[in-house]
Amino acid sequence: MKSRRDVLKALSGAVAAAIAGPFAAGRAWAADRLTIIGHAVHKAAATTGAGGDVTAAWRTKQGADIEWLTFGVEAANERAFKEASLAEGSADIVFILDRYTGPQFAGLFEDLRTWQAKDPIPEFAEIPAGMVAAHTFGGKITAIPFRHATHGLHYNTEFFAERGVTAPPKTVEETLALAEKLTFKRADGVQVYGLVMNFDDPATPIDWIRGFGGDFITSDYKVVIDQPAAVRGVTALVDLYKKGVLPKNSMNLKTEDVTTFMQQGRAAMTNNPFNRYLNYNDPKASKYPGKIAVVALPTAVDGKPMPAKTSVWAMAIPRNGRNKEKAWSLVKYLSQPENTIAETLNGNGPVRPSAYEDAKVKALIPYAAAEKQALASARLVVPGFANSAKSMDIFIEELGNAMLGTKDPQTAMNDVKKRVQPLLPT
Amino acid sequence: MAAPAATAEALPVNRRARRVGDRRTVRALHYAMLSPTLALLLAFLVLPAIYVAWLSVNSSTYGQDARFVGTANYAQLFADPIFWRAFWNTFFVVNGIVYVELLLGLGLALLLSGPVPAKAVIIAVILAPYAITESSGIVMWRYLVEPDVGMVSYALGRLGLPQLDWSTSPAQTLLLASTIAIWHHLPFTFLILYAALTTVPKDILEASEIDGASRWQQFRLITLRLIMPAILIAVLFRYIFAIRTFAEVWLLTEGGPARLSEVLAIYLYREMFKYHQFGMASATGCFMLVMSLLIALPYLRRMYRETLRHA
Repeated sequence: MKSRRDVLKALSGAVAAAIAGPFAAGRAWAADRLTIIGHAVHKAAATTGAGGDVTAAWRTKQGADIEWLTFGVEAANERAFKEASLAEGSADIVFILDRYTGPQFAGLFEDLRTWQAKDPIPEFAEIPAGMVAAHTFGGKITAIPFRHATHGLHYNTEFFAERGVTAPPKTVEETLALAEKLTFKRADGVQVYGLVMNFDDPATPIDWIRGFGGDFITSDYKVVIDQPAAVRGVTALVDLYKKGVLPKNSMNLKTEDVTTFMQQGRAAMTNNPFNRYLNYNDPKASKYPGKIAVVALPTAVDGKPMPAKTSVWAMAIPRNGRNKEKAWSLVKYLSQPENTIAETLNGNGPVRPSAYEDAKVKALIPYAAAEKQALASARLVVPGFANSAKSMDIFIEELGNAMLGTKDPQTAMNDVKKRVQPLLPT
Repeated sequence: MAAPAATAEALPVNRRARRVGDRRTVRALHYAMLSPTLALLLAFLVLPAIYVAWLSVNSSTYGQDARFVGTANYAQLFADPIFWRAFWNTFFVVNGIVYVELLLGLGLALLLSGPVPAKAVIIAVILAPYAITESSGIVMWRYLVEPDVGMVSYALGRLGLPQLDWSTSPAQTLLLASTIAIWHHLPFTFLILYAALTTVPKDILEASEIDGASRWQQFRLITLRLIMPAILIAVLFRYIFAIRTFAEVWLLTEGGPARLSEVLAIYLYREMFKYHQFGMASATGCFMLVMSLLIALPYLRRMYRETLRHA
């Protein structure tokens, strides 16, 4: 018969083994597992769709598993920076969005020039220099572009037909006039808004401001949002809001809300990334599958193509990563031309223009040609700098003031300039 | 001074030693039993608080060493009009939540402390919101009052009434956020007050009735005084929790439109997780801590006095 002491010893041993066991197993497993922090779209682009699981061959060859940790846009970036700043991180590859990064974070990541020199990505020069530059600070390449999210104009063809509109708008002015015409109450009582936008950051409103010839912060860090062209763009948005063409809760809308508006048939048009086409037409979630089309944004007031907003997600390797060799191997693998094509088939915005020329892409991605056209003149929302997040918040706040009518557009944009100017790099 | 010495001397030596020894043993045992709690408090409250206080006088972000800046973060904080707007929003929301919740909780507890049919069912209904995850509850409310498609908005429309304007009116946003917070946390206040009411001795109330006291006098002079320690505890805890109000406003509008409905916890969140300015976020945190302490202090003093009086 065992004494109480024996039982206690046995229990203590069992508890210790139970606590230590998973950690020990975790350590043994970790060597063959890469942890990636990103957004769900990255996982989908790499693993799901007509292009298949792009990572499968790499995993088999390397005998390694991939653990995807996916978050919302802001949270993915935040988590990436947090993991990379720890003494020992658990992330091997992190996806970073251009407008959330800046020179202050460059030290957290490997300088990928070194890895590129040692084991180069084939035909790296094909990736547009502007995309690489969005993640280059002080000459150091902190991340390799993986995906661009460039805006197109999505529209509900059924609503167009109902309102007697036969073709998508060609100019900014025509679009805004059409948005008014497309604001109506349907026979079933559903209120349709002509245009819907997300106001969680300047990505969506900036398209229309640029359409009027304005901008927020130029690539050489000048605030120009108070200039007449930009203020005309802001005024146009404010007018749309006052007329009820934009939903009343517009300032509260996020990307997911816009998707819901389009899927439920509560909005006729939106400017959002081309690949949202897949979400808006998803037969499982949308009331209008196959009826939401997308084209390049209309021409600007100067008759030139409107500079669509683009964002560049890129893959970085944290300096505190435990498995950098394998991480670079996967970054390189995902960046190869043939894999870029497969990822495009999975709905990714390809960072290699040649992907648009692929026959399969042309056949399966209906918006490929329009996206390629839009990409040619696309611009980032803001150039990367330390206070970009705060600057974007200030812009959205003052735009909100203008829409609410607490400030006139010119005063609001003057205030943006006054508040953002001191935050810019000197 | 001489008397105790004489008493001590009068005690047999072995009894005196045992008493002193017992006292020491008891003290050591007390400390030993308290030490795990104290160690946890030290590890999870005191040390992080010291770290946050240190961060608040530094400039710090990811990937960069902290740089001592003295009171610059506080100066920047106090010079920021958005911070003061967040402060006043927090002030109104917190006071609204605490006192409305107290009145409702007390009213319901008084009602249910008497003979009421289906009392158990009513209490279960009152407690139900506490079982719902905070974020789920808020999202549920949000969809109820969503413009155009929410059930409440739809019903208002059918009745020919105007839509709720919470997505564009900061006052309505804060009112809605406060309502959700009250709905969710009312069970806490109710439970404390209801439990306290059940301990009020019936014989005292009966005696006062015989003496001719009215119901109002009974409540004011007996019940209220006897449950005052419980009221103070409820108010104190709710103040401390309500100052940290975040989810209600964040999930409704993220402090918008134009940051007009922002509360201090959202201000802190932005500085920390959006702008990665840890020094500013810590300064905001320290300010909130001091604010909580200042609010708690009079209640704690009152509670201490009440406890001594009833000891």
